[in-house]
Amino acid sequence: MAPRLGFDDVFEGDELGPEDWFLAKEQVRDYARANDICFPRFMDDEGARAEGLPGMIAPGNMSMGLLTRLIEAWAGRGTVRRMGTTFRSVVLPDRTLRLCGAVTQKDEAARAVELDLWIESDEGDRLVVGTATVQLA
Amino acid sequence: MPLEFDRAILGQEFDRVEGDPVTVDELVAFARALGETEPCYVDPAHPELVAHPTFVVRYRGRKFLPDTLPDPLKTRMSFDAGKDIEFGVPIRAGDRISVTSSLHDIYEKTGRSGSMTFVVVRFTIRNQDGALVGTIDNRMLYKR
Repeated sequence: MAPRLGFDDVFEGDELGPEDWFLAKEQVRDYARANDICFPRFMDDEGARAEGLPGMIAPGNMSMGLLTRLIEAWAGRGTVRRMGTTFRSVVLPDRTLRLCGAVTQKDEAARAVELDLWIESDEGDRLVVGTATVQLA
Repeated sequence: MPLEFDRAILGQEFDRVEGDPVTVDELVAFARALGETEPCYVDPAHPELVAHPTFVVRYRGRKFLPDTLPDPLKTRMSFDAGKDIEFGVPIRAGDRISVTSSLHDIYEKTGRSGSMTFVVVRFTIRNQDGALVGTIDNRMLYKR
């Protein structure tokens, strides 16, 4: 884990990642079990198709978890104060996701920064977009 | 036609639940499923073991939507459109977490795919000491 990032070491436009992450079906199932949301859509293709989906999908909450991990790898543990996300499209497993972020604003008084965050598919589509407030040292 | 409903239903609490004590196994399984490797999240013996920040989304209460939801929405299919989370104090093993659910907002938007209604349910989550663990605004999308 990176030490807590200093406010003065960050500039608007700085990027987080990108981090390429292969999202395996078994990992999605593990997350669904750990989150107590073992709905068919999160467990296998057959169950998801019965719900009218193209195949098994990852929970939206899992995307927030992956983006939080990206932030903490950059800024340090316990730095995320707020996160907002919009789930624009389903996240399908057995594909590589690209986790991305950028600093959009610095708040000198609070020693905090605002981030834009997003998850791209391997075709470059933004599946999840969001913002976060991160407290720096 | 715009959705008509009594705005007095907004802000009303419709569910309150206190869970069993959080276990070490729950904390570790959640963090590992996200690919975490940080010892304070995934090592059961770590003296500072805490929950991954988004562990808080596990707390949803027993009822996801209130009985007062306007009737036209009750029969429509809904989708999880996103969440806003304010993070509070970390969750630790042994904590007893309580969640209070309220209907925070209902609003409509018109986009390329037509008219949509958003229902925002707010989950306020506290530990056994009353400290705020997190506030989650969950936006559910209802298409016409």
